[in-house]
Amino acid sequence: MISKDELEYLAQISKINLSEDEAKKFPEQLDKTIEYIDILEELASDDLNVLDLQEVNFDELRDDVVIMSGGLRINKNLTEDGFLRGPKMK
Amino acid sequence: MSSLHDLLAHEVVDGIKEGLFTAEEYVCSVIKTIEDVESKVRSFITLDSEGALSSAKLIDRKFKQKEDIGLLGGVTVGIKDNISTKDIRTTCASKILEDYVPSYDATVIRNLKQNGAIILGKLNLDEFGMGSTTEYSRYHPTHNPWNLDYVPGGSSGGCGAAIAAGECTVSLGSDTGGSIRCPASFCSVVGLKPTYGRVSRYGLISYANSLEQIGPICRSVKEIVLIMNIISGKDNSDNTTVSSSQITINNKLDKFDIAIIKELIDGSDHEVRSTVYSASDKFKEIGCTCDEISIKNLHYALPSYYTLASAEASSNLARYDNIRYGFDLPIEEYNWDTYFSNVRKNFGEEVKRRILIGSYVLSSGYYSKYYLKARSLRSLLKLELLKLFKKYDLLIGPTMPILPFKFGEKIDDPIKMYLVDINTVIANLAGIPAISLPVGFSNGLPIGLQIMAAPFEEQKLIDVSYALENTINIQRRPNLI
Repeated sequence: MISKDELEYLAQISKINLSEDEAKKFPEQLDKTIEYIDILEELASDDLNVLDLQEVNFDELRDDVVIMSGGLRINKNLTEDGFLRGPKMK
Repeated sequence: MSSLHDLLAHEVVDGIKEGLFTAEEYVCSVIKTIEDVESKVRSFITLDSEGALSSAKLIDRKFKQKEDIGLLGGVTVGIKDNISTKDIRTTCASKILEDYVPSYDATVIRNLKQNGAIILGKLNLDEFGMGSTTEYSRYHPTHNPWNLDYVPGGSSGGCGAAIAAGECTVSLGSDTGGSIRCPASFCSVVGLKPTYGRVSRYGLISYANSLEQIGPICRSVKEIVLIMNIISGKDNSDNTTVSSSQITINNKLDKFDIAIIKELIDGSDHEVRSTVYSASDKFKEIGCTCDEISIKNLHYALPSYYTLASAEASSNLARYDNIRYGFDLPIEEYNWDTYFSNVRKNFGEEVKRRILIGSYVLSSGYYSKYYLKARSLRSLLKLELLKLFKKYDLLIGPTMPILPFKFGEKIDDPIKMYLVDINTVIANLAGIPAISLPVGFSNGLPIGLQIMAAPFEEQKLIDVSYALENTINIQRRPNLI
């Protein structure tokens, strides 16, 4: 069972605040999901040596030129002197 | 002639070109249908009737001036609301993006517009494409036009419902684990998930990049071909795309060797199973062979899919930091982490669950236990399927193992909801093309047949689907008004 501390840790690294209701029901729901994907443990270690078939050819990248996309629209009023303004770093 | 909103895409183009009606008359007929049925079906998140009417007038002007109106001249298209449309709000059915208006068109939208298509509006989905019912939309659920108490499937549920209800002529959805095929099956329409790399994902708001593809949901196979030839091809903005040959409608069918996947049949409801067996008998009648086969690694497919999709989601959705778009939260009271976490509490529950699971399977100690094994399984499954495609042209089974179900039936149990995708995730893991075709009804609820082919063999899918469509005449339009 995912403990309260583990859930808090996952929420922290995922940068999500959970509501009280979510904090109460998520451990059981996440547990069921993890139990379900645990079936992957059955895969023999020999099976893990299979080639990775994700075929993406990175030899033919396009030239790195700026293409105007019609102007960047900032949907929020957070700009200052042409820069985006974010919260303080801690 | 039937009502204009009932016409298929090629009939609309031909009608306008022959001067039988104007694009404006046709668009008005579609808008009238939306006015009549939208309060029941709720397919749209954003409707752009005004924009559609002015585009229609432009098409009519072109026609009068004897200019080419394009292959889709005047045809109304509904777009799943996770595909970027310039100057039309694109929300992903999320509150996080409720005010987001893209400054550019996705490549597929640009291609549609260049061919005269009219973008009618943005269609509902489960938030960020995570779900199979549209119940996870943060705006409202969409209802199945065949029975309004039932879900339309998802995540492209708005597309399936809008096409069945006549609210637009064709639509574009996206498919990460079955999101085009599931609503196509539940709404008795046709949906194609193309081979990975056939259609550009530029402008598709990412959920799980290595799995997802944009594809058409329409009422007929002929329309699927028309749309696919417009949206496919190499795009410099998406390095995973490749050039591919055009597909066509052939009236003569090759004698294909077809295999029914035993595990998909065995795991299905009785009504679904018998309807799919009847469809396979039709294949035999039209000269194809039909064997039953087993896939060794199939029971690992769904856990692998949810491991990979959640991992990619947790990474992709990290970008929603509320700096460029999002909520009006004063930044002065927060430091970076609390601001970020506070904003992201606005994701819906399912999105949060998947982000948390993604963080879990990618974290130290679990990465090799889950993520690496899921990736290996994916390769094993692909190798096994490619071997099968040396012997068989096509693999078939039910698109969905169950009939459409009522709202609320599965929403409290994520695993029950995930199991709905068990037949469709195979094609996404292996990157192969798959189509869902309506093949029957049980108690007034639609049943779809899934047909899969080897990578870039969409032509075979189309040939056999077109032959079957002409053999079994399945109702595509419910009586809603």
